[in-house]
Amino acid sequence: MGISKSISKSMKSSSWIRAMFEEGEKLKKQYGPENILDFTLGNPITEPPREFKEELAKIIASDTKGMHRYMTNSGYEFVRQEIADYCKEKTKLPFSKDNIIMTVGAAGGLNVVFKALLDPGNEVIVPNPYFVEFMFYIGNHGGVMKLVDTKNDFHLDIGKIEKAINKKTKAVLINSPNNPTGVVYNEEELKELASVLRKKRENGQRIFLIADEAYKKLIYNGTVLPDVFNIYEDTIVVTCHSKDLGLAGERIGYIAASPAIQNINPLMDAMIFSNRILGFINAPALMQRIVGKFQNTSIDIMEYQVRRDAIYDILVESGFEVIKPLGAFYIFPKSPMPDDIQFVRELQKHHILGVPGIGFGRSGYFRLAYCVEMDVIERSRKYFNEFAK
Amino acid sequence: MIISNKIQKLIANQEGWTRRMFEEGIKIKKMYGEEKVYDFSLGNPDTEPPEEVQKTLVETLSNPVKGMHRYMSNNGYEDVREEIAIYLGEQHGVPFTANHIFMTVGCAGGLNILFKSMLSKGDEVIVPSPFFWEFKNYIENHGGAMRLAQTKKDFQLDIEKIEKAITKKTKAVLLNSPNNPTGAVYSEESMKGLVGLLNTKRAQGQDIYIICDDAYKKLVYDGFQLPNLFALYDLVYAVTSHSKDLALPGERIGYVAISPRIPDYELMVSGLMISMRTLGFVNAPALFQRIVGKFQRSSVNIGEYAKKRDVLYEILMEAGFECVKPMGAFYLFPKSPVPDELEFVRTLQQEERIMVVPGRGFGRKGYFRIAYCVPMEMILKSREGFIRIRKRYMKR
Repeated sequence: MGISKSISKSMKSSSWIRAMFEEGEKLKKQYGPENILDFTLGNPITEPPREFKEELAKIIASDTKGMHRYMTNSGYEFVRQEIADYCKEKTKLPFSKDNIIMTVGAAGGLNVVFKALLDPGNEVIVPNPYFVEFMFYIGNHGGVMKLVDTKNDFHLDIGKIEKAINKKTKAVLINSPNNPTGVVYNEEELKELASVLRKKRENGQRIFLIADEAYKKLIYNGTVLPDVFNIYEDTIVVTCHSKDLGLAGERIGYIAASPAIQNINPLMDAMIFSNRILGFINAPALMQRIVGKFQNTSIDIMEYQVRRDAIYDILVESGFEVIKPLGAFYIFPKSPMPDDIQFVRELQKHHILGVPGIGFGRSGYFRLAYCVEMDVIERSRKYFNEFAK
Repeated sequence: MIISNKIQKLIANQEGWTRRMFEEGIKIKKMYGEEKVYDFSLGNPDTEPPEEVQKTLVETLSNPVKGMHRYMSNNGYEDVREEIAIYLGEQHGVPFTANHIFMTVGCAGGLNILFKSMLSKGDEVIVPSPFFWEFKNYIENHGGAMRLAQTKKDFQLDIEKIEKAITKKTKAVLLNSPNNPTGAVYSEESMKGLVGLLNTKRAQGQDIYIICDDAYKKLVYDGFQLPNLFALYDLVYAVTSHSKDLALPGERIGYVAISPRIPDYELMVSGLMISMRTLGFVNAPALFQRIVGKFQRSSVNIGEYAKKRDVLYEILMEAGFECVKPMGAFYLFPKSPVPDELEFVRTLQQEERIMVVPGRGFGRKGYFRIAYCVPMEMILKSREGFIRIRKRYMKR
């Protein structure tokens, strides 16, 4: 066999995803892709802001010497300084360029963090439902993911998290705004979490809070994302510009480690080293040059908010039980039948493609990604309404 | 300690002398000024991308297309893969299709997803030594073990040593030709010897793959032709990047080419997709994928590198160093005048302000590596220093 045992296991365990994907492709061929309403992919549809595109064209036209060469593994110094300035302004904490590492997206950043932190058997607590890739990012580096169910409203269940902590716990990984639920954790629950972690720290166990903030700017109705850096000291934020600048395919993001982390140098060194040996080497050079200047920019989030409102209305009017999401571009309604895979198959018969909740560790739900053309959402109304009957 | 023990050990083992030399180097540069220090330690080419690459970039970005920065399939844009498949088909006379090409985040990214997809815990990969030290990390990242096989005096493959290194757990042989650090290009003869050996193993029921790190494949001199490995052996993966031939190292763009003769290669493509995703690469950077497909036949000016090699080689000969004349890449790997090359390299740095890398950084003590991807002027200016230091060591 030419492939490794672990990869062949991953392939088998995700076979139902493939099966559903192939069914979807079949439907698209059969009825024409325009007649299939595909809500399965978190592939942001928005284009980068105009100023961004102009700046990109300008930089490339300048033909600066050496702009495509290697730089230090942590990224260009001036870019890290720009990002540190932004973090400093946001948090009022003394960020310097040395707290920032440029990465190949948030996925690359999380792999770097876990490679640097985890020894075999170390545990990372992840609130459930969760983005299934987290399991791989942790497992890749010998770690073990420990799922902890969230409450009915998908907010953190601090009691359960506290119970899940043991001697092997090295980190808690949160993702807010959340994929798949769209929930945004509030300041209060994060403070409770911090006090649990601080208690452990007093007993000599250091547990890191790792925040995947890939969706940090996609947040609606004026909600403010709590500043985790000011809530807990041992915090590492991983983010990317896939969503806020519409650059998913360019693979650009960064790690920001709190200035409050004691003895931070070995940690930064280990992450920079991991960035190298995992084969990223450095974040793509050209995109680095630009994103530093656009830390305060974002695509028009109203585009997403109107979509959220539309899909939420449709689901409610069709009688689905669903929590109105405050961020990201996902909605996670309850499946009307307990078997969510069967339900998603039923949906397919009505030309709607979604992902069963089991794909995010929570059966009995399904996820719709509403980063699609408005027209797709509108056309889904008829089919969802049919379900109501 | 807050970081993983594994990483801590790796950093401690590898970075000890590197870091010390690096820091000494910075001090020397500060003391004498950058222009009076001759830094041959880095494989960071000073060349710019070919003019047409730059032109295409400007055109592409002044006429943005909707969706050009979005995610695509994990293996990359189909039209780009198609362009590369056509090029490789012409080069190797083997029927590549778009499905045999997998766009990656450079060569380093390509090797990591390949090892992740191939290696089960304890599987072994044979690497001819001296070798690019990162190979060890790439293999161990995914639970594999590296087994070194020393090359011959001229740095060509020693087939007998490779044969001895093969065990039941051997999954692959990793070749890097043109080679970092030696500049050797493996001859058709040594490739055929290796293929003969692996075909014997295959007949006995053990499939051993050849993985070629082709990062330097266009940097070959004197009209030498790289052996066509895809025609010689069935189980071949070639990993390449456009860091050197198109001078785009910072942009992280490359690909894996999967031999169409590998049975069930589709399974490997699925495996690579999962590894690409889960290791966090997700896909090769979109913009540069669009560019490189069109430039498979292009290259930076090879003649310039050949000239630099000739001048530096002459200098080393004149000074009295022992050195195999390299056929490719941009490295020379001369013998150190004393067995403890670390001591020699530090003296060279301190007394002549010439910075090179000790051979132990590539698994071979008693040698040192010179990276000549630097301005010609620096090579010329370093001449006296090489001559002086060699004389000084002759007196010892």
